[in-house]
Amino acid sequence: MLLTSGTIKNVAGFLASCGFLLAIVNGISNKGFAAEPADASVASPVESRKVDFIQQVQPILAKRCLACHGPNEAEAGLRLSDEESAFVETDSGEPAIVRGDADASSLIARVTSEDESERMPPEGDPLSAAEIAVLRGWIEQGAVWDKHWAFKPMARTDPPAVDDPAWSENPVDAFLLHSMSQAGLKPNPPADRATLIRRAYYDLLGLPPTASQVQEFVDDPDPRAFERLIDQLLDSPHYGERWGRHWLDLVRYAETNSFERDGEKPNAWKYRDYVIRSFNDDKPYDQFVREQLAGDELQEVTTETLTATGYYRLGIWDDEPADPLLAQYDELDDIIMTTGQVMLGLTLNCSRCHDHKIDPIPQKDYYSLVAMLGDVTSWGTRGDQQSNNQIDVSSPELVTRYQQNEQSRQRIESAMQEIEQVGIAKMSATDQRATEGPPKERKKILDEKLKENLSAEQWLEYRELADEWKQVKQEESELPPRELVMGLGRCKQPEQTFVLYRGSPHSPSDPVEPDFPGIFQSPKPELSQFVATDRSSGRRRVLAQWITSPENRLTARVMANRIWQFHFGRGLVRSSNNFGQLGTPPTHPALLDWLALQFIDDGWRIKSMHRRLMTSRAYQMSSESREDGQSIDPANDLFWRFDSRRLSAEEVRDSILAANGSLNRQVYGPSFYPSLSQEVLAGQSRPGSGWGQSSESEQNRRSLYIHVKRSLLTPLLTAFDFPDPDLTCEERFVTLQPGQALSLLNSEFIHQQAGRLADSIESDSKQDDEVVRRTVSAVLSRSATDEEVQAGRDLIATLQSEYGLERRRAIELYCLTVMNWNEFLFVD
Amino acid sequence: MTGKRIGFCGRTRREFLWQTGCGFGGAALTSLLSGDGFFADASASESPYRNPLAAKPPHFAPKAKSVIFLFMYGGPSHIDTFDYKPKMKGMDGKTVEVKTFGRGGHRTGGRIVEPRWEFQQHGQCGKWVSSLFPHVARHVDDIAFLHSMTADSPIHGSAMLMMNSGKILSGNPALGSWVNYGLGSENENLPGFVVMLDPTGGPISGAKNWSSGYMPATYQGTVFRTEGAPILDLSPPSGITPELQRQLIDSIQAANARHLATRSANDDLASRIASYELAFKMQSTAPEAVDLSTEDARTLQLYGIDNERTRDFGTRCLLARRLVQRGVRFIQLYSGGAHNDDNWDAHGDLEANHNRHAGNTDLPIAALLTDLKQRGMLDETLVVWGGEFGRQPTAEYAEGSGRDHNSYGFTMWMAGGGIKGGVSFGSTDELGSRAVEHPLHVKHLHATILQQLGMDPNRLSYFYSGLDQKLVGVEEVEPIHEIIT
Repeated sequence: MLLTSGTIKNVAGFLASCGFLLAIVNGISNKGFAAEPADASVASPVESRKVDFIQQVQPILAKRCLACHGPNEAEAGLRLSDEESAFVETDSGEPAIVRGDADASSLIARVTSEDESERMPPEGDPLSAAEIAVLRGWIEQGAVWDKHWAFKPMARTDPPAVDDPAWSENPVDAFLLHSMSQAGLKPNPPADRATLIRRAYYDLLGLPPTASQVQEFVDDPDPRAFERLIDQLLDSPHYGERWGRHWLDLVRYAETNSFERDGEKPNAWKYRDYVIRSFNDDKPYDQFVREQLAGDELQEVTTETLTATGYYRLGIWDDEPADPLLAQYDELDDIIMTTGQVMLGLTLNCSRCHDHKIDPIPQKDYYSLVAMLGDVTSWGTRGDQQSNNQIDVSSPELVTRYQQNEQSRQRIESAMQEIEQVGIAKMSATDQRATEGPPKERKKILDEKLKENLSAEQWLEYRELADEWKQVKQEESELPPRELVMGLGRCKQPEQTFVLYRGSPHSPSDPVEPDFPGIFQSPKPELSQFVATDRSSGRRRVLAQWITSPENRLTARVMANRIWQFHFGRGLVRSSNNFGQLGTPPTHPALLDWLALQFIDDGWRIKSMHRRLMTSRAYQMSSESREDGQSIDPANDLFWRFDSRRLSAEEVRDSILAANGSLNRQVYGPSFYPSLSQEVLAGQSRPGSGWGQSSESEQNRRSLYIHVKRSLLTPLLTAFDFPDPDLTCEERFVTLQPGQALSLLNSEFIHQQAGRLADSIESDSKQDDEVVRRTVSAVLSRSATDEEVQAGRDLIATLQSEYGLERRRAIELYCLTVMNWNEFLFVD
Repeated sequence: MTGKRIGFCGRTRREFLWQTGCGFGGAALTSLLSGDGFFADASASESPYRNPLAAKPPHFAPKAKSVIFLFMYGGPSHIDTFDYKPKMKGMDGKTVEVKTFGRGGHRTGGRIVEPRWEFQQHGQCGKWVSSLFPHVARHVDDIAFLHSMTADSPIHGSAMLMMNSGKILSGNPALGSWVNYGLGSENENLPGFVVMLDPTGGPISGAKNWSSGYMPATYQGTVFRTEGAPILDLSPPSGITPELQRQLIDSIQAANARHLATRSANDDLASRIASYELAFKMQSTAPEAVDLSTEDARTLQLYGIDNERTRDFGTRCLLARRLVQRGVRFIQLYSGGAHNDDNWDAHGDLEANHNRHAGNTDLPIAALLTDLKQRGMLDETLVVWGGEFGRQPTAEYAEGSGRDHNSYGFTMWMAGGGIKGGVSFGSTDELGSRAVEHPLHVKHLHATILQQLGMDPNRLSYFYSGLDQKLVGVEEVEPIHEIIT
């Protein structure tokens, strides 16, 4: 049923996942470029060229060997994860690798063995000829070992000298041109201005420019017009909506808890707004991270920094876990997985049950991080789903008044419940069961049957309590509303943390202290002793400081790479959540380090990075294909052209609303509920449950503001690859499947929008030619060609003459077709 | 580009593409025009298209081509259906010491609720089956019963996720998604993973039960309705005939061809053009698949579609057979939906609950087995029956026959698709409170399903979050060899 292009982005990663497709992966990875250093750029024929350990050898070891001969296990006494171990004598009495002599190296003998019982690796397909050639060449050339690039400190490199003055101005261009020249490629010419403005609008705002904005820019004689445009777009409040959404993908933002009840996360939207605002304010990235990890522990704690701690509250939460202790650790693991991958580009989560099989991250390091998060509470309990996750940011007086009111109410309620239970115990099983169901059913039973199951005395007392309760509720309703934000409402005193045998909380082994992962070679954290009056442990602040320290080897690299990825369609490191050895090595390592250091020097300002990247020639290149580029570097690893892309789910919907002028551009605020058909709601166990109704004008807001209910994602968005929000998403899939076509041809939404488009162009009072011109202008922000006018006019006429449609309906359907054009869905 | 189209597709795709003179590369064009196997052949190396649902080779020769998973949502009581406990006879109301764990928490004993239905022996194998399933009982010689099933959770939310995705946490791909991912679909005009819900509603957690998790949404389950247009947005609003739709698509494709002319190397654009043709084909294929008017009266009667009681589930079973015939890999049918007694979750009145749900499903399930067998399809179709857990031997409340959940031991069964018939594997204790002999975990069931489909459960993996993720988890899991032919 479904079809994607060859561009499930990150094709290599996608295929790599699939054990039995490994042969294909190898094919792809060998085509890939190691753009720097240049002398290792072409893999074949491998032996005649210098083999690059990081780019070529290590990925093979990581993918095919380290699971059994790595940090976690050293079968047969062989460990290939570090230089010291790799060359020692193995159990067989001989070393696996003999520098300079492939034939004497048992590693080569074992991977090439014809005997299946001898051949390594024992599982999956044998190594390909190309992979064996890489290993052989590397050993012949002396088996030079280098530490994994990402675990080394960043290196400051000057941009290379290139002899094209236009490509020397911006260092980004110098790096890129240098690697292109080495491969005998030239960059594409610049894109025309109409293309450029559309690219920049979608990139920074996720919205299309209007036709007049395009025309103005095209006609602007100022050679610095593009720089001015970038500034103008970065000043738009819609910038934060587009770039904030990237962050929301990473931190798996959702507004419900998943599982049976999929309950609300109250005020989650305030965290979403915090993210948007942070981007709009150009908040330094280090501060942004510190606020999310430790906004309640910073020197200056504000409503904003407290809202940032909503970061800890975004994950799934089972209100009724079979194993409550395990569930607590699952919650923490979710936070460690997200923090590790998003902020550090490390799959720390792989060390939960055993030492990391590929990267040098022992299990102990994982639990040292668990200890760092030792004061983080669970989302809540079934009985109290507020205290841990809601922070009252109202005035202190109001807080006190609410507290007093709540105490009174709780006292009365528990007294009432006590009496209720006495009565319930005397009821029939069916009734008893009903009282355990939804509050409404419980109330019904109590209303009907409680009295008859109580003594007169008990009943009287119960009635008095009920009156009191009403009064307390009345008082509460008269209090001014308080302001709550979602975050770390309550912390706990950290307990001693243990390494958990095979990850089971029921099998604690060695105690561990809070610490940073060893691969960073950082000094031990200085932590203060927890005293009973402390609100939190202070450990998260120490963690946040460490992650955002300029000395941290990964934080700046990881974020610089992400910014690059969102501008250019893929990161310099394609696996942007995994900088470890199973990740993809950077195509331009020197450029990556240069950008990361520049990012720190700029005070971690993301907008400065946008300017740096977007003012490059590389960003402004045309996306056209060239034969030499296609044959030398079809994957565009060298960035010889700009890659065109399909619009994201939100961009598709927002652009449709923008085209007909109905887009409500209101920024910030609670989420809205788009109308979903009965058909979609029928998949719920209680159709419509947890889904509200929003006014038409609310429903015309940008897609980013759609309520994210984990078990009820909006089908139009899902069809266009809106990610599952349970786990971090580093890069969205880009599928091109027929379900998308069906929703843009047949859905109620698209037909409604087509009608609005027909209205917005005043089609009733215009000739067909003009209708076509206006439609094309509204949808594609450009003038229609003569050919398009004629084709459109013909279609409108045919729909009336051949199919008997009214003119108005014919025009609506014409409008619908234009919103289905590839040109509308793709950005060059 | 004017003129009415004659017939279903009118001027063909072939004519259209030639006439618009679009800039398809030769290879792309060849691929577009490769007869009716439109993109069916993913191995055509010259094709720039990559259909992730194109049929993929299995790891080894499969015994089953398709799976029909009859999901008894809510948790049917094993000791009242297929797990015969003669020693419980006469024990009703007696208090026993037995460890149980359900929604009511951990307990150490309780009041026995004796199985409420009579058991009789059936078939060559002499299998004891309760009077809840008189029709299914006739097929015991084709069925392998798994009496020692266990799961990690006795709570619906996490247990449903476990049975459907192998994990108690949400965010992981469903079994059907793994099948879709591993094998692709034999029919690109239909989804590879279809879910059909009970008319009372979806199961709890709704779409989470057929989500593709961290995999592309391409692999997620598609909810098929049994009435009206089967798939969301499949049919255009009223007034748009197939011919008119074709006209609109032609117009879109003409514009796309003009656009592509200067971007000929862009495979994405060509793929999106192709996706419209596929969508158009689906609009006719999918409704045909659910159109029961071509089935004869005897078949409708066999499935109980002529009977109020069995009509709904019978329809779903018959549709499942039709989808299997059309190459759909994985079909999941829900018996029971929504909450409380709308599904098998018999906390209150066990008899009323199970009489209702067994009565709705017994005849259709038997019909499905009969029908598949007489058409020679059972050999290649794996039928799986069961819920997310079973139920306890003791009563949940002071009064009544309601039973709480039980994930310590329960029964599921499999038939067809290379599974031995007339076999019972594993057992629970005398009360059915827990698995004692050959305990099986949900992952063994999943491993067996993948195995029968020709996939090695320990090799089928998807790289995510730094790990080769597997349906059955990181540790090696053996399929249940004892029930495999």
